[in-house]
Amino acid sequence: MSNTIGNCRLGVDIGGTFTDVVTVRDGRLHVAKTPSTPEAPDEGVMDGVTKSQNDVGFRSNAVGFFAHGTTVATNAVLERDWAETALITTDGFRDVLEIGRQARPDIYDFDVREPVPIVERDRRFEITERLDERGRVETPLEESTVDAVAAELAASNIDSVAISLLFSFENDEHERRIRDRLQNAGVDVSYSLSSEVLPEIREYERTLATSLNAALKPVMDTYIGRLESSIDDRGIPATMQIMQSNGGIIGAERARQRPINTLLSGPAAGVQGAAHVAALDGIDDVLTMDMGGTSCDVSMVRDGDPLVSTEVEVGDYPIGVPMISVHTIGAGGGSIAWIDDGDALRVGPRSAGAVPGPVCYGRGGDEPTVTDAQLLLGRLDPDAFLADELEADVDRVEAVIEERIAGPLDMGLEAAAQGILDVANANMERALRVVSVERGYDPREFGLVAFGGAGPLHAGALAAELDIPRVLVPRTAGVLSALGLLITDLIHDFSTSMVRRLPDVSPSELESVFAGFERDGYERLAGEGRDDDEIELERSVDLRYVGQSFELTIPLSNGDVTAETLEDAAERFHGRHERRYGHASPSAPLELVTVRLRARGLVDTPDLVASETDGCADEAIRQQRDVVYDGTVYETNVYDRDRLPVDASFDGPAIVEGGESTVVIRPEQHATVDEYGSIIVETDQ
Amino acid sequence: MSGPPETTDEESTGVDAVTLEVIRNACTAISEEMNANLIRTGYSPNIKERRDCSCAIFDADGDMISQAENMPVHLGAMPFSVAAALERYPPETLSPGDAIMVNDPFQGGAHLPDLTLVTPVFAEADDGETIIAFAANRAHHADVGGSTAGSVAADSTEIYQEGVRIPPVKLFEGGDVVEDVMDLILANVRTPEERRGDLRAQQAANETARERLRDLADKYGIERLGDAISEIQDYSERRMQTEIAQLPDGTYEFADVLDDDGQGNDTIPIEAAVTIDGDEILVDFDGTAAQTAGAVNAVFAVTASATYYAVRCVTDPDIPPNEGAYRPIEIEAPEGTVVNASPPAAVVGGNLEVSQRVTDVILGALADVVPDRAIAACQGTMNNITFGGVDPRDDTPYAFYETQGGGFGGRSSGDGMDGVHVHMSNTMNTPAEVLQTAYPLSVERYEYRPDSGGAGHHRGGLGLRRDIRVRDHEATFSLLADRRTHPPYGINGGSDGTVGDDKLIRDGDERDIDPKSTHTLSSDDVVSIRTPGGGGFGDPADRDLDAIRRDLELGKLSAERAQAQYGYDHRESESDDA
Repeated sequence: MSNTIGNCRLGVDIGGTFTDVVTVRDGRLHVAKTPSTPEAPDEGVMDGVTKSQNDVGFRSNAVGFFAHGTTVATNAVLERDWAETALITTDGFRDVLEIGRQARPDIYDFDVREPVPIVERDRRFEITERLDERGRVETPLEESTVDAVAAELAASNIDSVAISLLFSFENDEHERRIRDRLQNAGVDVSYSLSSEVLPEIREYERTLATSLNAALKPVMDTYIGRLESSIDDRGIPATMQIMQSNGGIIGAERARQRPINTLLSGPAAGVQGAAHVAALDGIDDVLTMDMGGTSCDVSMVRDGDPLVSTEVEVGDYPIGVPMISVHTIGAGGGSIAWIDDGDALRVGPRSAGAVPGPVCYGRGGDEPTVTDAQLLLGRLDPDAFLADELEADVDRVEAVIEERIAGPLDMGLEAAAQGILDVANANMERALRVVSVERGYDPREFGLVAFGGAGPLHAGALAAELDIPRVLVPRTAGVLSALGLLITDLIHDFSTSMVRRLPDVSPSELESVFAGFERDGYERLAGEGRDDDEIELERSVDLRYVGQSFELTIPLSNGDVTAETLEDAAERFHGRHERRYGHASPSAPLELVTVRLRARGLVDTPDLVASETDGCADEAIRQQRDVVYDGTVYETNVYDRDRLPVDASFDGPAIVEGGESTVVIRPEQHATVDEYGSIIVETDQ
Repeated sequence: MSGPPETTDEESTGVDAVTLEVIRNACTAISEEMNANLIRTGYSPNIKERRDCSCAIFDADGDMISQAENMPVHLGAMPFSVAAALERYPPETLSPGDAIMVNDPFQGGAHLPDLTLVTPVFAEADDGETIIAFAANRAHHADVGGSTAGSVAADSTEIYQEGVRIPPVKLFEGGDVVEDVMDLILANVRTPEERRGDLRAQQAANETARERLRDLADKYGIERLGDAISEIQDYSERRMQTEIAQLPDGTYEFADVLDDDGQGNDTIPIEAAVTIDGDEILVDFDGTAAQTAGAVNAVFAVTASATYYAVRCVTDPDIPPNEGAYRPIEIEAPEGTVVNASPPAAVVGGNLEVSQRVTDVILGALADVVPDRAIAACQGTMNNITFGGVDPRDDTPYAFYETQGGGFGGRSSGDGMDGVHVHMSNTMNTPAEVLQTAYPLSVERYEYRPDSGGAGHHRGGLGLRRDIRVRDHEATFSLLADRRTHPPYGINGGSDGTVGDDKLIRDGDERDIDPKSTHTLSSDDVVSIRTPGGGGFGDPADRDLDAIRRDLELGKLSAERAQAQYGYDHRESESDDA
């Protein structure tokens, strides 16, 4: 292997509150949490590394692998805090970036706003040139129009330039000539070309991705530069890897060029971590739910791989690059319960957040939240709040729920608390259903992996409602993202649109496109330390029926493209279309739209050693408490997660505390601990 | 802490606040699931990409429980389809596995391209299988026959020219398709296989709902579920009443016009008197023009939809749309007018254009009553264009239909949005690269129309300009648009938006195109559609100087116009700053 320098692997994930550092040495996993430092996130990273070094006791030069999930690009988008950027387009098309797809974001809300354009109109310039749909020059590039733009840019404070011309995915010559001419004219900024960032058909999506990439480049460059020098100063020999939104990592150098590919860096790592722990138990199809204080992220893993989509939105913007498909619902532990003017009990989307937080945090919160309801029903331990230097004030929680919910609705206190949970669960159940149905799947065929602080509190009830047979709560629920970083391959995705009817596609032309991608893939991965035998290539094409406007990605076999390869692909397309959409038309003509290659540099995943606790489940019982389930009080065993041995097996009702979250096992459910320390909750049939 | 679960329940007949919200979520999830399935299994781009379809469920009496709509114009219209289906097929004549198809605008439909499928849902009760609910969905089909490809004929004068007319008929019986009926429908359309695929998807969507509704009945029992559904409708009614009660009592009137009907009849008035009386609203369209010879007639269902939409926007949009929400709204639309047309009127433009003007007059009437949600007129048209011909690249016939966005009205919270679909429509545009690849047409220019938004404290949104060139062939072109002579109105002292303006550019010469007309175009002809801007909100004198400067910098406002409308002198202001 190429990782011979050190035996220590580090995964670092920056969250809103904490920066998590996961260390794996000799198969043993260690987790360090330090406060995040939003003003200079790299400082929080180095604090976490220091804490790990102190806890685990390793020297800097023992670090042979360093992977990082970063929120720098995401935060820049959410806060619109990015570089001064200009955009260059074909004559007549500078407004495409702002018009978008002409739909308004909300149908009934008269106050709704359109997203702020990434580049404002006075910084969008037009160039005289035009290609046709096959990339043939229809209007030659008029260089005087480029020179005019150069003069304007030279006199401005622009840091970054995006160039996005019509049909540049068929022919990138005009985009390159414009960049070269601007550079020669002394416009010394960073450049992003649409033919490089997202060479795919649909000008709005391509122009948006290119503009966003341009706006983020200087931001990412500064951040990675600072972090790399800190790592160097520390004497860590590993080159930094960055998690991308598509579920693979890339070298930091590449991330500087393509910050757009890191927008969902953190969540993607979480889903990868969840897929990994589920696969260890032989569960390849899972829904994942990461529920925190304000929201719940839901995604889907099929055959061990997270589903990837090119239609994910970040902030107000639809991002056309492949990303792990994460659906966010406004339901978290801090979601506020309220009664609307039709007398229905509602939960969220408003959240008490971290400050003031739920009533039980005692930080001045005076509106009842989901967490307060959990506390009142006995699922959370009032004493546990002390660990976070918070004093749970149960009397105050009771008073608030009585005053705001139970009293007005003329209900008992517990019925009101249970009602808050039922309504919150109904919202999440609806989201989980629609997320699966949209893809053509039935949630009953999936397992559910629950993580984040609040996920394991709700997962059992959701699984029961959705008839999901198994819930898996990983041992490292709170740091799954950091773990995900350690088990993920290096991935470089290449693509270009080539819209042709299938019979018009020349196998040799297609082969040469793939060959070009493969050369680049080998080159990049070699630069990132992969040997040839650690590289896998996955070819695919996006096909559709002629006249339709959506495509399916169909994998191709490796080896030279022949007429037979294309026939094979067509056959697979009909099969997949039938499964996904319920019908197929084998006699209808097909069209090639986009050619894709994924170059994968394999990473040897650490073998995790099972925990060494022995004894039986009963010995892990910490206390017994009254817990209310659906209106009935049960005397419930409360287990200490750290003392639960492998293969422990016990019936609900039960509560398991520890491992950064609380697991609720309902009366009709049964729990076991697998050899990796995950808790598996199954509903008795 | 004590007691079995029953003790926490309310008395057995009532439905508590929690059950209400949980079952309401379940019902909403059913409509959303139907919708997701319809979009997923739909065959044509019109359903899959433009999402011109909606799904809903109804109780055993045919009253709506919940709806997932992608198109506002479907909002209130589907209950009419269910009512028409039940009138033709009373519940005792229906069996499990039956489904009823309808598109006749004069019997529960809206315009012919919208096909609606209604499916009864049965469950096992003490006295045998009984109907507990209905599932229904509506999809806009890309062609239903008639005089022009795409079935949006701007020049039709009778419904018989607009396509195949389907009164409520059983398309499925006992779970099987009724082949005779299917054959009859498909024989009358230009693309039968695509229609068959879309109809199959519509059937599958209703089946999803059937399964889920039966699960709900199993879980809660038929009677308890029925109680909860009534309570969900009562809940929406209560919330709607609470909202209306906050509005000042009185009768508020407003009048506006459609430009013309394409058959030589100009200036077609639409008038509304909106009466707020306690917690009820009455909308009376007395004074509206008699139905007209052209295609701009709306049936009552379309008028009702537009009315519900307008009321929903000025009350709380969070109120779940169901039968209860509409109980406090009464609509009087005299028969034989453009807002309640009788057979055999041509109606395709009713859905597309009249619906927009109905919205404009109701919002105009209520502008002073709901100051926080008041809005100047939006572009008020969908700017429908259709191209047809033979693609010279492969000698196959093609038909291309799309609609264009324009200016949103200035509003109390800020400027109108630039270049969006407004009110009753919300479909997406066709990317220029996709258009040119799929059809022998190319977009030459797609940009904002500077100066088109009405001046105001908050200006109207800008219209769009879209130029499309015909490449290497002869094509037919049809335009169906409005707001070409009568501009979108401003309110509270704001100026009107700029009217739309359409040109044919041939050999360098520009000539006007009539807004409702059909043409034959030659190779290299360019059609330039310039859509209306929104009206302005409030006195232009109150406009923030920075906002004027910013529009000047962005090229959304010209120096001449800034001077004329705001009295803003560019140079003078700059020297002031210096």
